[in-house]
Amino acid sequence: MSVLRPLDKQPGLNTATILLVGTEDALLQQLADSMLKEDCASELKVHLARSLPLPSNVNRPRIDLIVFVVNLHSKYSLRNVEESLHHVDTTFFLGKVGFLITGAGREGHCSIHRNTVVRLARTYRSPLLFCDLEVEGFRAAVAQRLVRMLQICAGHVPGVSALNLLSLLRSSENPALEDV
Amino acid sequence: MEKQPGEQAAAEPADSGAGGGEGGSPQVAGAQTARPEDRLTLLLRLRAQTKQQLLEYKSVVDANEEKTPEQIMQDKQIEAKIEDLENEIEDVKIAFEIKKLALDRMQLSAALKKNLEKINPKTSVLMDNMKHVLKLNKLIMKSHQESWDLEEKLLDVRKKRLQLKQASESKLLEIQTEKNKQKNDLANMENSDKIKTIQQNLQMEIQITTVIQHVFQNLILGSKANWAEDSAFKETVLQLEKNLTMI
Repeated sequence: MSVLRPLDKQPGLNTATILLVGTEDALLQQLADSMLKEDCASELKVHLARSLPLPSNVNRPRIDLIVFVVNLHSKYSLRNVEESLHHVDTTFFLGKVGFLITGAGREGHCSIHRNTVVRLARTYRSPLLFCDLEVEGFRAAVAQRLVRMLQICAGHVPGVSALNLLSLLRSSENPALEDV
Repeated sequence: MEKQPGEQAAAEPADSGAGGGEGGSPQVAGAQTARPEDRLTLLLRLRAQTKQQLLEYKSVVDANEEKTPEQIMQDKQIEAKIEDLENEIEDVKIAFEIKKLALDRMQLSAALKKNLEKINPKTSVLMDNMKHVLKLNKLIMKSHQESWDLEEKLLDVRKKRLQLKQASESKLLEIQTEKNKQKNDLANMENSDKIKTIQQNLQMEIQITTVIQHVFQNLILGSKANWAEDSAFKETVLQLEKNLTMI
């Protein structure tokens, strides 16, 4: 089975690639469009996938950032993400993976508890973002954040690396010393 | 696990030609003059990017150079090694946290400095607070100094008292030894033999004299003479009455 490795390919010149993994195709497409609308000095490439592993027959550029999208309304999306996580190499989790949670706005429809995803993000030591992808304004805001994160993970921002960003994103509620 | 991965590559490059996020595609007419600058900025940006990416690759290579030993080690050695590694991790984490705190402190102080340099009415409260703090600090230092001086004086007085006590102790000791010496001398003297013989002699003489007195008394009484008439005779008789042991 193919495992995604972060640095096995050479980076494209001035190119940054993000991979969005999730079961909600429409939401992913909308998020991709918002991201591409953002102003960015580098070329952006957005890949969408329902789950990993990706088919090996396609020639794709080096992936700089993977964002797993989980919808709190469906347990299936969480299970899908958990299974896809096995196909990601461990070195990816040094700042090049992020979790994006959608659907937290409508408490009544939530079938997954918020703590589950918080624990998931904590296990994988990756940043966790909450956003209601169905609202245009929030989507644009999170798209901006993701574009900035992508630029850093692709190495386009001098002086900041993905690992650096990871330590900076650790909030004070989740300090580095607390987990062994 | 063989789900249908529908991968769509939506690869629309959102490229804004001029560096630094200047949106809007470069126009044909104006682009001619702007192109060399665009190219230059693009090149510089690419240079920075490749530098950063090279750094990342280098760090990954360096990290991978430290291999874990393949040979089979004993359990205890493995445990010891694990402990060492965990300690290293903890040390690095702590150092990182400390550095982060130091950075935060520096940022905070820089922001504070900038704030102080700004408009006066807002910062006057801050300045007043700081001046008050300085005043209080001076007061504290002064009172510390005073209390230190007082303690020094107290110490001196105590030292003197101790010295005086010691001197009086030695004097009293001297007096006591002198008294003891005197008592001893006295006792010695009383116990010496000379005095005893002298005392015995004295007793003997007293007894002899008493006997002689009694003899004379009896003589006079036996003679039936009237000794009360003659004053000289009276004096002699009365003298014989004296009890010599009482002297």
